Amino acid sequence: MMTDTERTRRFNELAEAYSTDLYRYAMWKCGNDALAKDLVQETFLRAWRALDSLKDGAAAKSWLITILRREYARTFERKVPKFTDVDKVVVVDDDELEPDAQAEREVLRKGVLKLEPKYRDPLLLQVVFGHSCAEISEQLGISKSAVMTQLFRAREKLKAQLQKDGVTGNVHELF
Amino acid sequence: MSMNFSEFKKLIGADPLNREPETLRARQSSAEFEAAAAEAEAFEEKLQGALNIEAPTELLADIKAISRQAPKQRRWMPLAIAASMLIAVGAAGLVWKQSHQWDSVEAYVADHYSHDGSKLVAQADSPVPGQDVQRIMARLDAEADQKLLGRVTFIKFCPTPDGRGAHMVVSTDQGPMTIIFMPETQVDDGNRVEFEQMHALLVSLEHGSAAIIGEKSQNVENLVPLVRESIKPGFVGA
Repeated sequence: MMTDTERTRRFNELAEAYSTDLYRYAMWKCGNDALAKDLVQETFLRAWRALDSLKDGAAAKSWLITILRREYARTFERKVPKFTDVDKVVVVDDDELEPDAQAEREVLRKGVLKLEPKYRDPLLLQVVFGHSCAEISEQLGISKSAVMTQLFRAREKLKAQLQKDGVTGNVHELF
Repeated sequence: MSMNFSEFKKLIGADPLNREPETLRARQSSAEFEAAAAEAEAFEEKLQGALNIEAPTELLADIKAISRQAPKQRRWMPLAIAASMLIAVGAAGLVWKQSHQWDSVEAYVADHYSHDGSKLVAQADSPVPGQDVQRIMARLDAEADQKLLGRVTFIKFCPTPDGRGAHMVVSTDQGPMTIIFMPETQVDDGNRVEFEQMHALLVSLEHGSAAIIGEKSQNVENLVPLVRESIKPGFVGA
């Protein structure tokens, strides 16, 4: 049983290590800054209450993602946000990009938000959290080959969107 | 057996940063494979750049504040109470999930409180540091005065019909009650809501509105002066 001090220290370490990635994940899942913040806070509130059940520190990231995914399903899945304010969020080093590259990012962001959840979810777990296909398979409860297929198709759709919007730049259709 | 070009393209299309020995061997097997891998990596870099948004600066502080105000799960809760709570929470979760397009503020209040309101009341038992309350209120362009600050035993952001609000538990001489502050929502002052064992009173404020929620045995009207006098507009953008 942890002391209150140990508990707080452990909780703060989790917050420092994972809050940013969880926010990114939430943001790209729901496309709304305020909802994403609420979702992350709710995730950590539940994590705080259940912290004693986290026995393996190495499993913390997956544990938090699972909490967030459940909270998302429970709270937001039927409440489709009225708008997406992805354009308002601060994006790292966007201002330093050439206009074409900025346009590409814009198309990619909108493309990600348009992806069906079955494509978007594995893609976010891979890109935002750096999950392997095996980890995504475990997190989503689907086979590794299904994960590979969905990841492949997700990228195909994004590439097609870039081509459709005429901002392919030096990205060529690979397949 | 080495993979062919089609298999390689599918692999790097799904996992562009794959560094397994077999993948690396295939990549180095010809210029065609190498070019395809480089192209997949270039796309991945763009994708990562597009998704690499910054978290709001206040988010970490808000999360850390949780440990100062929310008690951990109680382990000594009698089994019978725990079981009944589980059923209640399950039922509340169902209601919450089923409705999310509220027809009225009254429907929102009942739905929102049913989600986890009772649980938060049961768990909130020590005062929240005033600075944490003020930080959340400031984010909602509001502020709370000292009379309210000393009574708040739990506070968090919460969804409201018109954006973000605050869910508070406050101590009163009748026991803990809940206040939902809705900075962007207008209500018919004095409207009442009854649900399960609870009742709520809607109060118009100088800045938005609030719902005061208590058990039916509690007199929610008693809290109206405190709520009206204590929740004020703050500095916009604070």
